[in-house]
Amino acid sequence: MVSNKVVKVALIGNPNTGKTSLFNQLTGLKQKVGNYPGITVEKKQGICKLNETVKAEVTDLPGTYSINPTSLDETLVLDTLLNENNSSFPDVIVVVVEIENIKRNLLLFTQIKDLKIPTILVINMVDQMKRKGIDIDVKQLEAKLNTKIVLASARKKIGIEELKTAILEYEKLDITSIGKITNRIDKEYFTRLKNAFKEFSLYKSWLLITQNIEFDFLNENQKKLVLKYREDLDCIKRYQHKETILRYQIINEVLKDTLKVDKSKASDLRGILDRVLTHRVFGYIIFAAILLFIFQGIFSWATYPMDLIDSAFANLSSWVKTVLPKGTFTNLIAEGVIPGIGGILIFIPQIAILFTFISILEETGYMSRVVFLMDKIMRKFGMSGKSVIPLISGTACAIPAIMASRNISSWKERLITILVIPFTTCSARLPVYAILIALIIPDKRVLGFLNLQGLTMMVLYLLGFTAAILSAILLHNVLEIKSKSLFVIEMPNYKIPSIKNIFHEVVEKTKAFIFGAGKIILAISIILWFLASNGPSKFKNAEQFITSKEEVKDLSKVAIQKKIASYKLEHSYIGYMGKSIEPVIEPMGYDWKIGIALISSFAAREVFVGALATIYNVDSDENVGTIKERMAAEVNPETGKKRFDFPTGISLMLFYAFAMQCVGTLAIVKRETNSWKWPILQLVGMGLLAYISAVIAFNIFS
Amino acid sequence: MQDILVYIALGLAIGFLVKKYFFKSKKKRKCDSDCGC
Repeated sequence: MVSNKVVKVALIGNPNTGKTSLFNQLTGLKQKVGNYPGITVEKKQGICKLNETVKAEVTDLPGTYSINPTSLDETLVLDTLLNENNSSFPDVIVVVVEIENIKRNLLLFTQIKDLKIPTILVINMVDQMKRKGIDIDVKQLEAKLNTKIVLASARKKIGIEELKTAILEYEKLDITSIGKITNRIDKEYFTRLKNAFKEFSLYKSWLLITQNIEFDFLNENQKKLVLKYREDLDCIKRYQHKETILRYQIINEVLKDTLKVDKSKASDLRGILDRVLTHRVFGYIIFAAILLFIFQGIFSWATYPMDLIDSAFANLSSWVKTVLPKGTFTNLIAEGVIPGIGGILIFIPQIAILFTFISILEETGYMSRVVFLMDKIMRKFGMSGKSVIPLISGTACAIPAIMASRNISSWKERLITILVIPFTTCSARLPVYAILIALIIPDKRVLGFLNLQGLTMMVLYLLGFTAAILSAILLHNVLEIKSKSLFVIEMPNYKIPSIKNIFHEVVEKTKAFIFGAGKIILAISIILWFLASNGPSKFKNAEQFITSKEEVKDLSKVAIQKKIASYKLEHSYIGYMGKSIEPVIEPMGYDWKIGIALISSFAAREVFVGALATIYNVDSDENVGTIKERMAAEVNPETGKKRFDFPTGISLMLFYAFAMQCVGTLAIVKRETNSWKWPILQLVGMGLLAYISAVIAFNIFS
Repeated sequence: MQDILVYIALGLAIGFLVKKYFFKSKKKRKCDSDCGC
């Protein structure tokens, strides 16, 4: 029994075996979980209290099928296990396998066992054993695998305490490897290898020479020796192949007497569902129908709460003006801060609905079927089926989506995926689209049941996806990078979605959107309000200038006040800034006020609505209702028509669909590609595409 | 008094944005979905 120390634990397993769920149960943390592979692309750590005196530092490693890495996230696993100087090098490894895929999952377990590190085997999702007709002889299996086995269900909190006890007693674990594989491959070769690297275990030495990675923890002599062994590539490949076959032979032998599956008890629903959902015709129809349903839902169900929030902020603004003493700070709160924040909070219902649907698709296991379905198509565009997950994750935010591309093994496919992800319609675009659609698309039904606004939203999402695909084709043909492609995807079982997981996911995503973007929007709203409420001499003398004019003498007091407010805004600091860029944005159909919102939203797209809300509030001599009403009331003084008419609305939506208006994404692309070349290419390429399409659309529809 | 409060708010807003975009923390953060974009 250990005492007064921290036990380092590594959680390892194939993708989608429930490692992260187990990690969350052990540590009490709330890392994202989902029923599709590749959720964990970087290692995550947490602390687990084993008893009153002993704690465990648990590291959740990315899912991997073996310790022969094919992608960046899998390399991370190997480095953690081989490098004893790595801060996460474990005292004990917990290998997580899934009840239905034990045979395939055990390949990784047998490799880990050969590293001579104490290992515990967790058979997860055991709550499904009975229903699947599976029976395991745990005692016999433990004896054959020389390990401690814990039957667990992370989702149902089964076996967690037993696992903690097993971790506490890790020093008692048997570290004997299974089957003496190396002797059966080529005894003489492996004896030579053992003598060459006396300081390492035999299997570790084998891994050092089989991986095409430069290990920093080796000294110069060891590095030279590794390179010498790697010269005989044919031999290594042959022995690796032999190793895999032998391991599966051993696993088959072990499971023959210890695992029983009664097929008659097992439900064949999965097979039927798979055939339908991945069908080469129906699969795509179902996927399109699901997307259509989601976007219908976003518009139909979110309208009422959105109107409620919008009115609440309009009322709050008026109330603040009446309650607080008159002055500039009161104006800042009522005209700058409240409309700016209201402009972002209004979209909570739509974002929550979108993420609820996405979480349900992930939780049920449907997302993996989509990946499988799309692989053939994606391959034609220079991407992998695995690119679908980052592209779908991009509907939330491009940053985690770009990180999710780490499990794509081919560098070219990964680079293309990274470069095209920002075209996916992220949640930051949703507020911009939502307000513009509400202004220019009538709220009516098509074919009796389809909401036209919802349909437009879906078209915009598809437009983003199409732009991503077309750019991928272009990049596939232009980029001269040679790399091998490998596609392996786990087909998880279908599951009833966990309400707790969905709720947690939706709350986290919405919170991230509100607090991540909210602080920036609040800061920008304050600055915008200041720039719009102050200006040089013409601004200061606005009242005197307007009232001295002959033509205003017959106007009502309210009309005169409105003229003064407009004149002030035009001659404020922000007015001059907007006017200076007007010649550039005029061909897209925008005036200087929209130009200001465009500049402000360069850092983050969703600032656009909040910025316009602030500008139109300052422009008004009184509070005239909701953001939507203020935007709808805005008139183009030259034409007398509405400012947000159909051509301008379409032009703006296209601009936001294509432009790279996100500083955070640029930074993460730089980090992931380790070069400024790619983010600059994205910024310029997407910016040009956005500008040209907006100009063309405005001129066609005008 | 109200003018002073406005300038304080303005200073804080500018300071926040400058810190966020020009002086990023060197501390390695785990980025999930809290991306601020």
